[in-house]
Amino acid sequence: MMGEEMAAVAPESSSNLSVSSPSEGVGEASEAISSALQAFGIDSSTIVHVILVLVLAYVATRIVAFLLTWFSERFHWLRLGIKMEIPLAKLAIYGFAVYHILGSVFQLSTNQLIAFSGLIGAAVGFGLKDLVAEVVGGIVIVLDKPYQIGDKVRVDGHYGEVTDIGLRATRLVSPDDSLIVVSNQRMISQALANANAGSLEMQVVIDLFIDSSSDASRAMKILREAAVTSRYVYISSKRPVTILLKDRPFYRRVRARVYVNDLRYEFEFESDVTKRAWDAFLEAGIEPPKAMVMDPEGAASPAA
Amino acid sequence: MEAKGAETPFSVDLNPPPQRRDGLFHMPPFFEEEMKRVEESIEDYREGIRRNVAIISDPFYGEADLMARAASMAGSDGLRIDGRRLRHDFRILERAPQRIVMVDEAHRLSLRRIGGFDLMNRFLSFVTSEERLFITTWNSFSWRYLEEVLGLGRHFPRQIILPRLDAGQIREMLLAGRREGELTFVEEEAPGGDSKVLDWRVSRRVVMGHNIDLPYPSVDPEMIRSRLKRNRKEKESAEDAFFERLARISDGNPGVAEHLWKEALDYPEVRSSLRDPPTIDLDFDESFVLGVVLSSGSLELDELSEVLGPVDLSAEMMAAILEGKGLVSIDGGTVTLKPEALKSDIEHERRLRLVW
Repeated sequence: MMGEEMAAVAPESSSNLSVSSPSEGVGEASEAISSALQAFGIDSSTIVHVILVLVLAYVATRIVAFLLTWFSERFHWLRLGIKMEIPLAKLAIYGFAVYHILGSVFQLSTNQLIAFSGLIGAAVGFGLKDLVAEVVGGIVIVLDKPYQIGDKVRVDGHYGEVTDIGLRATRLVSPDDSLIVVSNQRMISQALANANAGSLEMQVVIDLFIDSSSDASRAMKILREAAVTSRYVYISSKRPVTILLKDRPFYRRVRARVYVNDLRYEFEFESDVTKRAWDAFLEAGIEPPKAMVMDPEGAASPAA
Repeated sequence: MEAKGAETPFSVDLNPPPQRRDGLFHMPPFFEEEMKRVEESIEDYREGIRRNVAIISDPFYGEADLMARAASMAGSDGLRIDGRRLRHDFRILERAPQRIVMVDEAHRLSLRRIGGFDLMNRFLSFVTSEERLFITTWNSFSWRYLEEVLGLGRHFPRQIILPRLDAGQIREMLLAGRREGELTFVEEEAPGGDSKVLDWRVSRRVVMGHNIDLPYPSVDPEMIRSRLKRNRKEKESAEDAFFERLARISDGNPGVAEHLWKEALDYPEVRSSLRDPPTIDLDFDESFVLGVVLSSGSLELDELSEVLGPVDLSAEMMAAILEGKGLVSIDGGTVTLKPEALKSDIEHERRLRLVW
C-alpha cells in the first residue's frame, strides 16, 4: 500500500535533510524527494504529464476567456452576461485538470486520496493557508456572485471596473487606468459596494454647487434637462432621474441622480452633463459659490 | 407681437393631407382597427367623453393617412396642423376655434437639448387645460423617450400603436389594383449572392502591439431561415419568396416595403434581388446623431446643430458621414432617414441603448 510506504519513508527523508554541508545537502535532498516521489509511484514522465495538463489548462482558460470576451463585445447587449461566465469556465477547466491529474495520472486509490488530503491539510495549516483562503474566496465569488466581470465596484478603498476574477485574485481597472489586484479573500471579507450589480446601466451622482443667492429652482430644471438630454443617459420607470437640492451656509448643492446607458461612459456622462449644465447656468445668471473671507470676528463675507 | 390677420390658420390643413416628406404611398387597408379606435374617440367626444389620442408608429408607417381620415370625419369641427409648423407659431393653436385638434408629428414640439422641452410642456399644459379633443401622431422612439422624461401617457389616455404588417398584408397592399398575372416575378441572386450559411471572416486584433488577423466563423441567420424554409416548402413560388423576404427586410413597415417594392419593380417584371439593409459601423457620437434622426424621421441641420450644442461635433459633418454610409439623405438642409436602412438603424440604436 502506498500510504504505508510513505509513512515508512518520511522519517528517513526528514533525517537526511538535516545533514551538514550545502552541496551534499542539496544532493541528498533531491534524492530524498525523488525517493518520496517514487514511493508515490511518480516518475519523471508523470511529472511531465502533470505539467503538460496544467499548461494546457492554463492555455485553455486563456483561449476561453479571450473568446468569451470577444463574443461579449460583438453582442454588446449581452456583454456582462457573457463575461459573467468567464470565471465559471476557468473554475471548470482547472477543476477538470485537477480531477484528471488525480484520477488518471496519479491513479490514486481511496486510501491514497486520504493520505493526500492529509498532506494537503498539513500544507494548508503551515504555509499555504493564505493561498487556499484566496482560492476558496474565488470559488465563493464565482458561486455567490457578489460582483461580476464588467461591474464597477468599490472595495478596500479602491474603485474600478472588474476585468478579471481569477482563482486567487480579482483585477480591477481604476478610472485612471491603473490595474489593481485584490485578493479574493479580501474581496469577500471587506464591505463591497457594487455600482451596477450586473446591469449595463449604472447610477451616476453629479453634484453642482451654486451661490446661495442664485435661482435654485431654475438650476434644478437646467440640471435635469442637461441630464435627460445627454447622449449617455438611460431612463426608464425603474431608472428615473432624481434632482435634489441641499442648502449649506455659503452655497447650495444641486445633485442629479441619473443612469448612464453603459457604465463604460460613466465619466464622459458626468463631464457632458456638468459642462452643458454650467453653460446653461451662466446663461441664466446662476453663479458658482463665492469664495468667503473670514474676518477676525468670525463673520464671513464674499471675497472681493 | 404677431400682427392680427397675418395668416389664416383656421382654414389651413383641413382638406388635403399634408405632403408626406417621404413621398410614399397611401395608408394600407390594414389599419382599419386602429382607424376605428380613432373614430370612436371622435364619437365619444361628441357625446361628452374626452380621451385624447396618440397614434404611435415607427417612421414611414403611413400614419398621416389615418390623420387625413380623422380630419375628414371631424369636418368643420376639426383643425389639422403639423408639429413643425406649431413649433414656429404656437399661437395658431391658441387662436383656433375648432374643438377637435389634430397634430401631425407632435414630437417635433420638443428638441433634445436644454430648454428644448419648454414648448412641449406648454403644449401638454394646453392639452390638459382645454376641453378640446387632441388627436396626435408620434414617432415611436420619441414617444418612449418623452414618456420617460415628461410622462406623455398621462395626457393621451388612448394610445394606438400601429402594428407591423405580415407578408400577406404587404402583398395585398402592393398588388392592390393589379390584375392577376400582370406582373412577372423573376428570381435573381441577391447582390453578393454567393451567400453561405457558415462563412469565415477575419477580424483584426491588436495583441501586444501587433496586428493579428483572427479568422472566425460567421453564421448568416438569413440563409439558415431561407434553407429551412426551402426544406419545409419545396415548391414556393418566386412571388411568395419575394414577399416573404420583403416583409423580413422591411420588418413589416409598410413605407419601407413600398420603397423597396419601387426599387424591385421594373414593369412588368419584379426582380427578386432585394438588397439587405446596410451593415452599420459607427462610433458612439455618430450613432447618437443617427438616433436623433431616427427619433424624428427627418431633421433640419439647424435643429441637429442645436441638439449637438457647442461641442466639437459639427452637424453638417456628422450628417455627411451618415449620408456617406447610406443611412440618411441630405436634401436642402434636411436630414432624412433612408427607408432601406431603417431596420439596421433600429437594431443598431437599440443595441447601444440610444433609443428604447
